[in-house]
Amino acid sequence: MSRAVPAGVVAAVRRSVSMVCDPEYPEVTVAELGILERVSSSDDGSTVRIELVPTMLGCPALDVIARDVTDAARAACAGADISIEVAFVDNPVWTPDRIAPSAVSFLAREYSVAVRRRSATASCPICGGTALEHRSDFGPTPCRSVEWCPQCRNPVEVVGRVEFPAAMGAAQSRPVPA
Amino acid sequence: MGETEPVTAIEPAGHPAETPGARELVLALADDELCIGQNLGWWIAVGPFLEEDLALTSISQDELGHARALYGLLGDDIDAMAYGREPHEYLCAHITELPCHDWAETLVRHFLYDTAESVRWDALADSSWESLAAVARRAFAEERSHLRHATGLLDRLLRTDAGIAYLLPLFDQLAPMACELFDAPSGCSDEALVAAGVMSSELGNQRARWQDIVGDALAPAGYQPQWPVADPEAAASGGRAGRRSPHFAALHAEMVEVLSIDPSARW
Repeated sequence: MSRAVPAGVVAAVRRSVSMVCDPEYPEVTVAELGILERVSSSDDGSTVRIELVPTMLGCPALDVIARDVTDAARAACAGADISIEVAFVDNPVWTPDRIAPSAVSFLAREYSVAVRRRSATASCPICGGTALEHRSDFGPTPCRSVEWCPQCRNPVEVVGRVEFPAAMGAAQSRPVPA
Repeated sequence: MGETEPVTAIEPAGHPAETPGARELVLALADDELCIGQNLGWWIAVGPFLEEDLALTSISQDELGHARALYGLLGDDIDAMAYGREPHEYLCAHITELPCHDWAETLVRHFLYDTAESVRWDALADSSWESLAAVARRAFAEERSHLRHATGLLDRLLRTDAGIAYLLPLFDQLAPMACELFDAPSGCSDEALVAAGVMSSELGNQRARWQDIVGDALAPAGYQPQWPVADPEAAASGGRAGRRSPHFAALHAEMVEVLSIDPSARW
């Protein structure tokens, strides 16, 4: 395992794992969702390391994503004697801002799922209304909350929660990155 | 599975994780999360209304994820740590083992636990044990929605006579019990952990801060919990010292039900 990673392998692995799709949204890649953080080779060159950012620590799809990413990386360096290391990292913290704009419109169009990013107003994927009303922080998956569109009178699933000030002390003492 | 795995060292000597008591503290917090997560999962499909069903089980999933992240700081075989230890090797506080199959009980415990947790995560967010700090910050970000859920319901219910009649007696019972969340595991000196920068404040100070938060939330209902005096002797024979409550056996049996049928089962 002391051989250096051949030039081009890291790039090939990056290309390959970028195309791995999310189990929840099988047409959207982990790269577009901002789950893929970094592909690099170890200092001694024997290992390609892939860092992933979990959307939520308790996301039940993490193991599936890690497995699919590992398989894709292995396929990209088929035949080469290189070990693959896949790790979920706690830093940076995933936020909906990591989702690529192309994926935001795809999720709205194909899944009727809205995305709330800090950089843009969340809008209703059905009618485009922007006056969404918060209903519940807890939707069908841990990363989706439930809102309501008063314009077209539909419930809307939103990736990313509204940031109210927390009701009490502890949570207010520190700015939180999500 | 089935055999006790020692907590393996994955950090170099001299690392903050090697501070005496640091691993025991993380193990205690992980065990709290595991039991709370497992207990909240009971509410799947039986919550009092649909949104509550989703909320409690989403929170359950979050807490199990936090347990996994914390066990992951201590070693690679997370399943062995979560499921494969002897009962006396778990360090959870007894309040986390309570089934709370009454929704009002679950709400009160949820409020007490999640406020306590937010204080604990805050004390670890700048830890000199960097990977612990990263988990704490990550978990703390997810904690906000738990707090919002607990405090939102509590606020509303304590404005009703029925809410007051149901909930305040439960605080009489559960608030003193929840204080154990701030007891140190046996052999863990929180002064040493603060000195090494693993935690930013001692457990007694964290407990005081938490009591203030709980007190402030209940003051509008004209109620203050009767806080017990911190008792090192009681702590030395409690959940943090490896003594399990009568509820643990059934909870643990449920957790390992699949693994005991098929020890090779994967998540």
